[in-house]
Amino acid sequence: MIHYVMIFVQTFVAVALAPALVGFIRWMKARLQGRRGAAPWQPYLELWKLLGKEAVVSHTASWLFHVSPFVVFGTSVVVASLVPLVAAPADPLIIGDLFAVVYLLLLGTFFLALAGLDTGSPFGGMGASREMTVVALTEPTVAMSIVALALSAGSTNFGQIIDRTIAEPSMALGPGHLLAFAALFIVTLAETGRLPVDNPATHLELTMIHEAMVLEYSGPYLALLEWGAALKLLVFLALAANLFIPWGIAVTLSPLALAIGLVSFIAKLAILAIAVAVLETRVAKLRLFRVPELLSASFVLALIAVMSTFLAR
Amino acid sequence: MLGSSGMLLTALIVLWRKGMPAYITAYRWQSWLLVALTATIGYFGGDRALYWVAGLLLVVKGIAIPTLLREMQRRLGIQPQITPYVNTATSLLTAGLLALFAYVLARPWVMVSDLPTREGLPLAMALLFVSLFIIVSRRKAITQVIGFLMLENAIALLAAVGTYGVPLLVEIGVFLDALMGFLVMQIFVYHIHETFDTIDVEKLRRLKH
Repeated sequence: MIHYVMIFVQTFVAVALAPALVGFIRWMKARLQGRRGAAPWQPYLELWKLLGKEAVVSHTASWLFHVSPFVVFGTSVVVASLVPLVAAPADPLIIGDLFAVVYLLLLGTFFLALAGLDTGSPFGGMGASREMTVVALTEPTVAMSIVALALSAGSTNFGQIIDRTIAEPSMALGPGHLLAFAALFIVTLAETGRLPVDNPATHLELTMIHEAMVLEYSGPYLALLEWGAALKLLVFLALAANLFIPWGIAVTLSPLALAIGLVSFIAKLAILAIAVAVLETRVAKLRLFRVPELLSASFVLALIAVMSTFLAR
Repeated sequence: MLGSSGMLLTALIVLWRKGMPAYITAYRWQSWLLVALTATIGYFGGDRALYWVAGLLLVVKGIAIPTLLREMQRRLGIQPQITPYVNTATSLLTAGLLALFAYVLARPWVMVSDLPTREGLPLAMALLFVSLFIIVSRRKAITQVIGFLMLENAIALLAAVGTYGVPLLVEIGVFLDALMGFLVMQIFVYHIHETFDTIDVEKLRRLKH
């Protein structure tokens, strides 16, 4: 019973923190570029504004247009409840499984791409086709980089993967771990629409991938989509942090362990967010035909990671 | 371990990036990683001669050869981008398959060895194969030279990781050999450039130019 309460609270914390994460990355980028930047809690004000506005829907839109924001937000929330964020009890009924998480995220992306195509606007179609190209190349890498860890843990359950890494700290410096972390980081940038794959702050439609799909949305629908995207970023960064550097996560449910877990979770997210902000300031957006080269490089890294844990035992 | 996977990553960077400065930087990082690896093995294995080997590697491979390479690049000027024989995505996938092949090949050796660095063995062999692939699949002469230098790094890595340290005399021998090879290749590349006005080896097939 206490487990379910904890999962509920954890999901609530994740949903509440997601806009702050995006706001923090934006603020960090602004500071790095010499601007003052909006405060890190600016996305909350934007969400509040959007929720109060009226949704304008094109008359060529179908039921898919109305359903997609809920699907995207819903799958992101469900994935946030399945991924170990603050606590990771090794109970397979509580913490989720790798393939469930990957394919739930993919379901959200699929519906978003369909929604981009739904209204018949050319930018939406362009964004949807680009997103499908990127996702088709990132999907095997996401699964494989976590499978590299799962192979040595003997299970694709996140709780057991974390337990295994905590029990054997020297494994965290092995080539399997490092290459898988590099692959997962590149894929995070690709799936969540960050530079160098997609510029989240662009206003030029020809350069958009994620933004082009949500171009037709307004009002509460747009609020849900933005929140869902922020939550997806949080989930990916949390996966990268907690699976590869799990120290600090709570394995028992005592209040002290949970407090340490919460603090270490926020600290790890902050460090990864700073890394993302620095990287975004450093690199330019890749041209679209170069993106498959980057993604196949990350696929090869994940492949070598799997090989090194599988064959070099 | 850490160092070996880093070295393999730098070889993959040569397959991925285009442009000479990226290749020279990748080679420089690879040499520095080799130096750090050798010094670490010297520290943990208690073999003081390895510090001298690391120092020699640092001076020649980490500083002198990258400087010579940059000099070469400066003299040849900005080269037009020439598509290699194998395009980028395919060459990255081929590198992955070569790494798999190296893992399968090195498996008996890894299982027999009980050195602490035995996990780096398949990575060293993978680096060897990937360097050979760079030499074979690239068209610019300088990139082939970089592939050869990485091959030499791979052999040094294999020796260090496979036998937990390498004697100073052997290292000096192998190393001067490769250095001579590199200097000869450098002279060749200059001559090719002056004669053909390009360093695309595809153009060397014709008698007329």
